Amino acid sequence: MRINLAILVTVLLSSVGLRAQHKQLLYDFYEIPQSLMQNPGVKTPYKWHAGLPLLSGIGLQAGASGISVNDLFANDGIDFTTKVRERAINGLSPRDEFGGSGQIEVFSGGFRGKNRPNDYYSFGMYGEGYASVFWPRDLAILGFEGNANNLNRRFDLGDITLQGEAVNVFHFGVNRKVNNKLNLGLRAKLYSSVFEFKSTRNSGYFVTTQGQNNILANTIVADIELKTSGVQEALDILTDDNIAASEELPRWLLGRSFFGGNLGLGADFGFTYEFKQNFFVTGSLLDVGFIYHSNGLENYTLNGAATNEGIEIFLPEDLFNGSNDLWQELVDDLERLVPFETNQKSYLSLRPIKLNASVRYNWGERGQKTEDCYCGYSTVNTTDGFDYVNAVGGHLFMIQRPKGPQAAITAFYQRRLGSVLALKTTYTASKYSLTNLGLGLSLQAGPVNFYVLADNLLGYRNIAASHYASFQFGFNIISWNDN
Amino acid sequence: MKKLTTLFLLAMIMAPAISCSEEQDFNQIDDLNVVPTLATSLLYIESDEGTINLAGTGNFYSQVFTFEAFNEPFIADNVLDGTITYQVENTTSKEIDILVEFLDEAGNVLDAEAFTIQPEPAPLLERQIAYGNGGRNLDILRNTTNIRVGGQNQGDDTSVSSQPNPRIILRSSAEFRLRLQ
Repeated sequence: MRINLAILVTVLLSSVGLRAQHKQLLYDFYEIPQSLMQNPGVKTPYKWHAGLPLLSGIGLQAGASGISVNDLFANDGIDFTTKVRERAINGLSPRDEFGGSGQIEVFSGGFRGKNRPNDYYSFGMYGEGYASVFWPRDLAILGFEGNANNLNRRFDLGDITLQGEAVNVFHFGVNRKVNNKLNLGLRAKLYSSVFEFKSTRNSGYFVTTQGQNNILANTIVADIELKTSGVQEALDILTDDNIAASEELPRWLLGRSFFGGNLGLGADFGFTYEFKQNFFVTGSLLDVGFIYHSNGLENYTLNGAATNEGIEIFLPEDLFNGSNDLWQELVDDLERLVPFETNQKSYLSLRPIKLNASVRYNWGERGQKTEDCYCGYSTVNTTDGFDYVNAVGGHLFMIQRPKGPQAAITAFYQRRLGSVLALKTTYTASKYSLTNLGLGLSLQAGPVNFYVLADNLLGYRNIAASHYASFQFGFNIISWNDN
Repeated sequence: MKKLTTLFLLAMIMAPAISCSEEQDFNQIDDLNVVPTLATSLLYIESDEGTINLAGTGNFYSQVFTFEAFNEPFIADNVLDGTITYQVENTTSKEIDILVEFLDEAGNVLDAEAFTIQPEPAPLLERQIAYGNGGRNLDILRNTTNIRVGGQNQGDDTSVSSQPNPRIILRSSAEFRLRLQ
């Protein structure tokens, strides 16, 4: 039953790491201050902003690539084992990914420099967590079929790729309007890791072949490592009967969130450049940084090579061996040749670097002046920061993943409706989906800004058949630039 | 434009609420059958003709040793059925008897397999023994903790085979179907 539950939870909570980090609706949607987190060099038409604590940015993603809940659990009369064999075991590839992620902004804010009105400073703290598992195809086949009918097939242990973490991020950024054509941004980040587990660069194989002496030979060559920090501490709290987990766990989480865990540094870079009137190019490089894990460590390794042809007795060499504990000797030999070990070695964990790039064309009569005024933020019209009524463009996103970079490309259309509402719609193509339509809105009611962004809307026609769903919303108080 | 805006707002807010889903049956997971077939070698014994001649006629080898592959919980708890394959190859100049016995912890014989193989040129002797599913009782395997192997020379102790590197070889392997789910 536990296995059932684990499989179910994995499938239901699965989401793809690419999507977890890919915020194409929020990117360059600068009516929403959180767009600064996607590009610190985005336009900043605010005098100041303050996120509603704990409610300024909440995001959840869930999904899976290659398979959906409906593929397995639809009440379609097909034998479940057949569905698992055809759609999961034989249908998924090692590049298919499962996972789950969530983000919550604890607090955030920003203000324009009094003495330097071209600079906009932003700061805040947010927590995020995710877990991701690539489909271990060869191990799944081995587990489902066994090795007897797969002689000479090398089961690739490199298919084992999983990672996850919870991290609290403190950040401070500067956005500078260099001139009327160029905005630059820089953000410094301090990471406080709550926990992390990571097993990403594994190699090796298991193969059954005809034996040299005996009928069969089983060979394992393994170089596998699972690094963890903080995980064992959490498990200790959850499994120790002498500890009240409901009290101790929040205390532990809080402690590690506020510098009691492992720390790291990082930076975001970004720009917006108007290279021709109403034509803009933007770019950002996010999470260029690392976390150094030095406490709460428990790393596991399986490293070595061995070939086994069963218990082997050679006469006359073994006539006077004397030992009759040959089984234990065999087991000991295997454990010596391919030892499963633990260690507490510190390690450096690089953040998953993300690259955004976009082009954008604005048009339409804004009802405001459109010509450059070269007069600085302190003297511009309230809505002068909004440089479009309609905007259309393309957006490229790339992220460094354990199995290489992954990319997604987006076409978007944006429209402002008066000074109250801005809408954005996107079509995104990635290796996971070619039918991803997203919608976002930013609603301004006086100083209160509310935004909601939803991805993969076509998936709502049959949510169980959707490979993922994504939802993000938040509240801010914004004071726009004024005269 | 107001209509458009209203429509958009409704779509955004109501999308999750009005989303549809085909009927799902999560209890199907109880019907999942994961029954892999695992294969491994078990035992390999080899003796050259010189060693057999040195021991004289009759018993030239007898050994009891631990063998706990079958009663490992992973196997014992999940095994559905299995087959043990033996191969005996004789290139010596004598008839050889080999006896393989499965013993429990108290030393009781649970199962035995006897082989008699003629002097060279004898063909390879292969035998498959099924356990469970119409074969021998699976409990034999579940309770086996030791194996006793004996070899008897039924010929003389002086002759030498004309084959290069003459020897008697016992090979064995096992295939088991396990129910993991």
